[in-house]
Amino acid sequence: MLLQVSNISKNFGGVQATKDFSVTVDKGEIVGIIGPNGAGKTTIFNVISGVYTADEGSILLSGQNVTKLPQHEITKLGIGRTFQNIRLFKGLSIIENVMCAFDPQSKYSFIGSIIPTPKRKAEEKRGKELCEHYLEIVGLKDYINEAPENLAYGYQRRLEIARALMCNPKVLLLDEPAAGLNPTEVGELTELILKLSKDFGFATMLIEHRLELVMGISHKIVVQNFGKTIGVGTPKEVQNNPAVIEAYLGAEEEDNA
Amino acid sequence: MAIQLLLNGLAVGSVYALIATGFALIFSILKFSNFSHGALMTLSAFVGYFVSAGTGWSLIPVLIVSMLVGGLIGLFGEFVAFRRITKRNSATFYYFVSSITLGTFYESIVTIIVGAGYFVYPMFFSKPAIWIGNFVIQTSSVVMLGISAIVLIILVFVLQKTKMGRALRAVSYDRDTAYLMGIDVFKTISIAFFISGALGALAGVFLGIYNYTLTAQLGNLVVKGFIASVIGGLGSISGAVFGAVLLGLLETILIFFIGSGYAPVATFLIMILFLFIRPQGIAGKSVQEKA
Amino acid sequence: MQFYLSVLTLTLITIIGVAGVYVLTSLAGMFSLGQAAFMAIGAYASGILVVKLNWPFLPAAILAVLISVIIGFFVGLPTVKLRRDYISLVTLGFGEALTAILNQMTGLTGGAAGFSGFPKVISFPIVLVAAIICVILVAFFKKSKYGRQCIALKGDELAAKAMGINVPKVKMIAFLFSVALVSLSGVLYAFYVTYVDPTLFGWKLSGEWVIMNFFGGVSSLTGSILSAIILTALPEMLRFLSDFRMVFYAVVVLLVLNFKPAGLLGTWELTPKNVKKLFQKKKEGTHASSGK
Repeated sequence: MLLQVSNISKNFGGVQATKDFSVTVDKGEIVGIIGPNGAGKTTIFNVISGVYTADEGSILLSGQNVTKLPQHEITKLGIGRTFQNIRLFKGLSIIENVMCAFDPQSKYSFIGSIIPTPKRKAEEKRGKELCEHYLEIVGLKDYINEAPENLAYGYQRRLEIARALMCNPKVLLLDEPAAGLNPTEVGELTELILKLSKDFGFATMLIEHRLELVMGISHKIVVQNFGKTIGVGTPKEVQNNPAVIEAYLGAEEEDNA
Repeated sequence: MAIQLLLNGLAVGSVYALIATGFALIFSILKFSNFSHGALMTLSAFVGYFVSAGTGWSLIPVLIVSMLVGGLIGLFGEFVAFRRITKRNSATFYYFVSSITLGTFYESIVTIIVGAGYFVYPMFFSKPAIWIGNFVIQTSSVVMLGISAIVLIILVFVLQKTKMGRALRAVSYDRDTAYLMGIDVFKTISIAFFISGALGALAGVFLGIYNYTLTAQLGNLVVKGFIASVIGGLGSISGAVFGAVLLGLLETILIFFIGSGYAPVATFLIMILFLFIRPQGIAGKSVQEKA
Repeated sequence: MQFYLSVLTLTLITIIGVAGVYVLTSLAGMFSLGQAAFMAIGAYASGILVVKLNWPFLPAAILAVLISVIIGFFVGLPTVKLRRDYISLVTLGFGEALTAILNQMTGLTGGAAGFSGFPKVISFPIVLVAAIICVILVAFFKKSKYGRQCIALKGDELAAKAMGINVPKVKMIAFLFSVALVSLSGVLYAFYVTYVDPTLFGWKLSGEWVIMNFFGGVSSLTGSILSAIILTALPEMLRFLSDFRMVFYAVVVLLVLNFKPAGLLGTWELTPKNVKKLFQKKKEGTHASSGK
């Protein structure tokens, strides 16, 4: 099993954001996490990617325990992610944003950072080519020197995906990648996620409110409510699970109210 | 001897507490380190000096006038250096540059008025020392400790129990939500600057009295308040008070043993030690960034 | 003439210091109020080595910079993992502590009376070459992997970590590179002026360097250098205002802060590409206006 999350819990000053959460994701598999706002979905991502350390439970990546590692080391071991509220780097161009994910892997020394040594030139070239490659995959190749804030919302989300790809992820965490997109864009995004999952073979976890997207591509769905898992299964099974229907539709009504 | 040391330490600590709370108040509300605070202290200490020299008033009225002027300087500073930055929702960078520039501005005014001279600070007390049993204690220490304690208690009361205090806490917790709840955010920020300025002025006058002399360098002592605030936990008022008293005591004891020359080295090492042991400060909770 | 040459030399030394602060503040977003203390370490350490221990200048200068970097490592260690607010307060405390040490160890440093007897090894051409080299190194640094990681973590530490960036390490590298540069400026200053005393290196100088960085443009190296020139020359030109010149200076900076928040140049850099663009734009502009 590529990613094995067992019984993780996370508390914030007495508020149980996530309780006893477990999931396994295998190579090429897409797992969706759904649930109403405040169900602790993003907290799960934050714990897996090391933003927060779990109070209890363990996270194994290819069998290695990463539960207590610092965030950047977890990334290096193969967990890439995007953010619900887009977090691109201001002051850097689009290609430089992707380059930032290459830089921790770049193999030249401090000397190379102040003098253009051959090693630096070679590494920068390698990085640039990889950036262009990933930007082409997400369809941003024509804009590489633009400022990210000039991009449309959907493209900013794609840039975040390109940046995550640069981390060589074994597991890709996508936090509401379709938020704010129009139906056409959602369709394109669905295709992109499927293509990436197939071409790269990584495990994908997806938090999403757009049910048409998440139901359409997930092999497995985990339903969260108030920090707890209330249902797991294939999209079909989940749709027919009475506990899920009650919690989810109930919350939807509240949302509409 | 020990009791004398303890009392002196507490007195020094109480002045540091005034500096640290004035600093922490602004930190908690606008989340930046106000580096103009030291120059404000110098400026107000000179106000106290000139009021006293000009009128011959006793300590209390001099303190009140100085605090009022200090508060007004605080308001002025907020208006010229921070208001637009806050409205623009700018990065901390701007506050940093702005507060340093404002400090430079105040200091150059002090330089223009008084030059590089030394001024002998007025002695407000007829008896410079009090005998309690076998101990001799400086009157100024006792008065400083007493007044600082009263002022800090009033401050805590205002923050905890009054509508104004609730507004201050709400704005420091979350400015946008406070605004939505109908709190006049800029009025609240102004109040914080007024209080901070008044506390700084009080500290400035006390430092003048405590050191007997007044120079344009008085403001450098603001560092003690900053360090106290770091020890106590940045932005926490009660932490600042604890940190300051602790710093005052440790410093007084250390000075007794190693001399005053190396005191800044000692305080620096104390701060570093605290940062290693308890980086969030005495009162601080470790704040996690929202993802 | 001699006066102008000396102003120019001191301006170039300031540029080296400002370039150091640029790395720390404009790139990595950290504010130090103790960089001037590292300038002092450079000046005093090289001075002690040369004057008291009869070392030749060059190895003394190198060792002085190295000593600054080692001390910088220990000052940086407790802060790079913490919120940014701490670094300015810790470096401020460090500066005060260092000043106290310089004042106290009179046998070694001359105390408050200052340290004199530096041989005048440094002259204008040396400073000019050193400044050009330093600025080029910083320009390369900005475009390197560390420069990019600095800009990334300045904007969003959490996202930077999520990209695998080792935030404390990159912050430390920026801090130490900055320390090395300001320390070098201290060495050059001491052996040019031939006299130093503890009051020269207070936190106000560190603050002034940060102001210069902001004034020229929020993250523009070109702007920082330009403003180092303007803001060093300005007080000199305003000598007739005597004490009022610092007030004037502060008011100018406050006005820029309030009304031109991106600084003079914003993020614009002087590169061949950008200059070309600038001229093209101007041409287009004249075309458009002549067409009307």
